[in-house]
Amino acid sequence: MKANSFWYLLKEGIKNIWNNRTMSFASVGVLISCLLLTGAAVIFSYNINCAMKTIEGNNSIRVYMTQNLPTLSAIRVGEEIKKLDNIDNCKFIPKDDAIQRYMDILGDKDGTMLQGMTGKENPLPDAFEVSFKDLSQYKDTSERIKKISGVESINDYSDVAEKLTHLDRLVTTVGFWIILLLSLVSLFIISNTIRVTMFSRRVEISIMKSVGATNWFIRIPFIVEGVIIGLISGLVSSLLLITVYDKMISSVASILLFAPIAIESIAWIITLAFIVAGTLFGALGGIISISKYLKNEGGEIVGW
Amino acid sequence: MIEFKNVSKTYSNGTHALKNISLKIDKGEFVFIVGSSGAGKSTFLKLIMCEEKPNGGDIIVNGKNLSEVKKHDVPYLRRTMGIVFQDFRLIDNMTVFENVAFAMHIVGASTKEIHKRVPYILGLVNLKKKANCRPSELSGGEQQRVGLARALVNNPKLIIADEPTGNIDPALSYEIVDMLNEINRRGTTILMVTHEHSLVKHFHRRVVEIHDGTILADSAEKQEVRHEG
Repeated sequence: MKANSFWYLLKEGIKNIWNNRTMSFASVGVLISCLLLTGAAVIFSYNINCAMKTIEGNNSIRVYMTQNLPTLSAIRVGEEIKKLDNIDNCKFIPKDDAIQRYMDILGDKDGTMLQGMTGKENPLPDAFEVSFKDLSQYKDTSERIKKISGVESINDYSDVAEKLTHLDRLVTTVGFWIILLLSLVSLFIISNTIRVTMFSRRVEISIMKSVGATNWFIRIPFIVEGVIIGLISGLVSSLLLITVYDKMISSVASILLFAPIAIESIAWIITLAFIVAGTLFGALGGIISISKYLKNEGGEIVGW
Repeated sequence: MIEFKNVSKTYSNGTHALKNISLKIDKGEFVFIVGSSGAGKSTFLKLIMCEEKPNGGDIIVNGKNLSEVKKHDVPYLRRTMGIVFQDFRLIDNMTVFENVAFAMHIVGASTKEIHKRVPYILGLVNLKKKANCRPSELSGGEQQRVGLARALVNNPKLIIADEPTGNIDPALSYEIVDMLNEINRRGTTILMVTHEHSLVKHFHRRVVEIHDGTILADSAEKQEVRHEG
C-alpha cells in the first residue's frame, strides 16, 4: 500500500469515530469495564499466589495456650514442645506482646480502641511460635503438639493455604467466565458500532467499489476505527486499574499477612497487556463486521 | 474494446436476463444502450463491471477475458472504467473537490497529483468555481457533472453512464451528453444507457436496443448492411 493511501485511510478511520461518537463512546465504556474486570481478577489471583508462597515459605505454626494458664505452666509446655524431634525453634510470645502487636496493626498506639484489654483483662492467650526442621512431618508434629496438656489450639497455616487455593480456583473460574462473557459483549458492541458506521457509509463503499477500491482499502478505515477504540480503552482502563490498586494497597498493606505485589513492578505489564488486548479486540471487531458486510450486502455496487 | 460472444445470464431466481447475445464495441466508440425496464440493460453493465458472471459465453473488456479475471483483480479492472450513476451518488458531507478527489485517493494518488488533476477535471465540466460547494448546493445538472468529473478523474479508457440524464431537467440532459461527446472526442469509449429517445435521435450515435434479454436492433449492423447493399 502506498504511503498516501495509508495516511488517507488513517484519517478516514479517525473521522469515522468522530462521526459516530455516541456508539464509539459506548464501545469504549464496555471495553474498559471488560479490561478492568480482567485486570482486577488477574491481580487478585497474583496476590493470592503471593500470599500462598509467603505462607508456604513460613514453616512455623502458632501454638496457643489454654486461657488463664499461668505463665510458668506455659513455659513448661514450651519445654515439652522443644523435646519433640522435629522442632527447629520454639519462641514464647507472651499475651501482652500479642495485644501490643494488634494495637500496632490497628494503629491504636494510645490504646483507645483496645482499652480495657491490657494487663489482666487481656483476652489473648500466651503462645509459642514453633518452626519445624522437616516440613514433610508437618501434620504429624502438629498433632503431637496438640496432645500436650495446656495447649488449647494451634494455628495451622496449611488450612489457610488450602482455603487460598480454593479461593484462587474460584476467582480463576468465575473470572474466566465473566471475562469470556464480557469479551463477547465487547466484541459484539464494537462490531455493531462499526456496522453502524458502515451502513451510514454504504454509498461511499459502493462508490469505492465502482472506482476500483480493493476490499482491503475499504476495510482499513473500519479496522483503524476499532483499533483506536481499543487503544483508548486500553490506556484508560490501565490508568484506572493502576491508580485504584495503588490507593487500595497503600491503605491495606499494613494489615496484610503478606507483601502484596508492588504497583511499580506490574504497571508497565498492565499497560502493555491492556493496550495489546484493547487493540486486538478493536481490530477483531472491525474485521468481523466489515468482512461480513463485504461478503453480503456490501459486496455489490448499491442500486444496480 | 468490449466484446460479448454468445453471452447468457440467468439469475438464481430463474430470470433469464440475457439470452445468447453477441456484440462488439470498438475503442473510441459512443454507444447508446436503449431498452425498456427489465430488458437486460443493467445486467449488461453488471457483466462489464464484473459485478456478475455470465452463465455462458465470453466477455472481453480491454483485451481481457472476464471469465479469467480473478476476484482480487476485479478492482484493478474497474480502475480502467468510470461510472456515472443516474442518482449521482455524491457524498453529501464532502465538497465538490473532495467528491472528485475521493476517486483518486482510492487509486493511491498523491496529494500533489490530486491538487493538480482535480481542478483540471472540474474545469472540463465547468465546475471550477463550485469546487468548495456541497452537493446539496448544486442543481441536478451540476451534481451530475460532478459525477462525470469523478468518473473521468482517473483517466479511464471506458465510461459507463447508467441513465445519466434520468434525474435531471430535459434541457440539461443535452448539456451532459454534450460533455460525454466531448470526452469521447478525446478518445474515451462511452457506453450510455438511456430511455430518452429524443437524445438518441439528436446525437446520431450507435444505438443498441436490448429487449427481453436479446439485442433487438444495433444501428451499426444496419449501417454495415446498408454499406454491403
